[in-house]
Amino acid sequence: MSNPFSPEPARIVRKYKLTKDVKFFQIRFIDKERALSFEYRPGQFMMFSIPGTGEAPFSISSTPSRPGLLEFCIRKTGRLTEALFRLKENDEIGIRGPYGNGFPIIKMNGYHLFIIMGGLGAAPLRSLLLYTLDNRELFGRLHLLYGAKRPKDMLFKTEFFEFIEREDIECLLTVDKDDTGKWPCYKGFVNSLFQRIEDIKPDNTYACVCGPPVMYESVLNELVKLNIPKHQILMTLERRMKCGIGKCGHCAIEDIYTCIDGPIFTYWDVLHMKELI
Amino acid sequence: MKDSLKNVKYIEKDKILDFIKVLQKDYTVIAPKKVKDFVLFGELKDNEEPYLDFLNSRQSPKEFYFPQTETIVEYEGIIDKRVPKFSENDMKKRIIFGIRPCDVKSTLILDKLFVNEDYIDDYYKRLRDNTLIFSFGCNNPKTTCFCASFECGPFSEEGSDAFITDIGDKFIIEGITEQGNKIIDKLPDGDGGMLKKKKEIKKNSDNVVSCIENIQKIPEKLRGMFENPVWEEISERCLGCGVCTYLCPTCHCFDIQDEMIGEDGRRVKNWDSCMFPIFTLHGSGHQPREFRFQRMRQRIMHKFNYYEENFNIIACSGCGRCVTECPVNIDVREILEKIKKL
Repeated sequence: MSNPFSPEPARIVRKYKLTKDVKFFQIRFIDKERALSFEYRPGQFMMFSIPGTGEAPFSISSTPSRPGLLEFCIRKTGRLTEALFRLKENDEIGIRGPYGNGFPIIKMNGYHLFIIMGGLGAAPLRSLLLYTLDNRELFGRLHLLYGAKRPKDMLFKTEFFEFIEREDIECLLTVDKDDTGKWPCYKGFVNSLFQRIEDIKPDNTYACVCGPPVMYESVLNELVKLNIPKHQILMTLERRMKCGIGKCGHCAIEDIYTCIDGPIFTYWDVLHMKELI
Repeated sequence: MKDSLKNVKYIEKDKILDFIKVLQKDYTVIAPKKVKDFVLFGELKDNEEPYLDFLNSRQSPKEFYFPQTETIVEYEGIIDKRVPKFSENDMKKRIIFGIRPCDVKSTLILDKLFVNEDYIDDYYKRLRDNTLIFSFGCNNPKTTCFCASFECGPFSEEGSDAFITDIGDKFIIEGITEQGNKIIDKLPDGDGGMLKKKKEIKKNSDNVVSCIENIQKIPEKLRGMFENPVWEEISERCLGCGVCTYLCPTCHCFDIQDEMIGEDGRRVKNWDSCMFPIFTLHGSGHQPREFRFQRMRQRIMHKFNYYEENFNIIACSGCGRCVTECPVNIDVREILEKIKKL
């Protein structure tokens, strides 16, 4: 008998602080073969299990092009994340997955990619970003637009600063407010970065967006102004989830389930479905 | 079902316990029992008679396929050695005896979700495969019954292995499936007179039970109604208590929680309800279904549109429990009639 709810044993390999309430976790299946053969797509998520505390879903932040380790970027918000933050390197947890549709990376081949993220929206999109960089020849131009509240709230700062120097990615980082006076990049909301973008061939562009609900409206406006087709604007959305397999009903939106039909939706879906954002 | 398989038997009412005892040799018998003021389904103990003088049970026997609490993972040992394992328990074959046709219909509705081409819930399937259904025709449909709306009805045999009818001094039992026939084989044969009596009772019940005409048009009708102000009107007096979802034989949403006793523990699936705000509350505090009307809309839409969209069947069998038990008398039939008129 197969049990879809049975978590697989995994180990916390590394754990460190990214910002005040966000931590970075590297996780590896204890079974070596499983760790190396585990397949997933950018945009998919895993359920974490801590016996006695429960389960919660987290986007995968690592790329399948670097097998072995799974990476997650997790904010402390509830019971499970509190327990997870208390665990130490080398501690065991359970994971099951991967779940969700993930990004249509094959369809996106050859396209110019816009990766637009706000705050913790970096968690799922970093997977796509690293995947694109590891398979650079498969894609067209690559833009990263990332907005955080303040410099200290920006996730993966060191990693992303290095992208500014690279020629194969156009990396625009911004903060809403610079309270340090030393911020070397842009200031303003993510949508203000669009004025710096030139020579877009909208039909040949995929935009991938993830951020807090307030970010979507302004960013979507800009993307529509650029004439990017609505089915090429992809957003990763979230819902309270329990089972991950489209049965428990928590993440149901109309006749679909965010956990199996999402979490990646097109702007077209969003316009035609209610309660999506 | 083929006619050739059809087999009519009967039992004198005062012999029912003897028959149950025969069944209990090979089967666990789950039947209606009187529990304080209610009739509920439960396992019959030795020498316990089923309580068959009821209209319908307060709860449907849904819990026997889809338990209110079901272990999905168990932990054992000390903290570092918590090994998740399957929960297996060997189970004697079961007969659900005296289940009403609407509750059988509901089971068939749930089958579509838990056992289909894309997904098989092994736990559910095991419980289903292990269970025979002896359904019980309704001589006196309640005023809140509307099973006739859904290709069901007080004497619908769909999904049954055998069908029981109360014809006054005796019960007749008709075998529907091969397995059903085999089990009732030793009972005395019925005759044409008994069948005629059943026919009269059935006719009367069919006349009495209420029916929402053209219910098949509801799913299409609901398609464009998401933003209709009617939802606020419908949910105005709803208290959000969730009793409609807990008693509904087709509601199937569940929560997953961990329970620990000392160092041992288990993870369980518990029935949940879309009528509660916490059902959709995000960790971040974001609440996609903030208002009660949104949750009421979700319940109605899920049953009468989304489920139909996914599984080609409306997720309601007209048992009427949500109507009888609602503390503020919200009547789903009125809601559906209202929707039809919009």
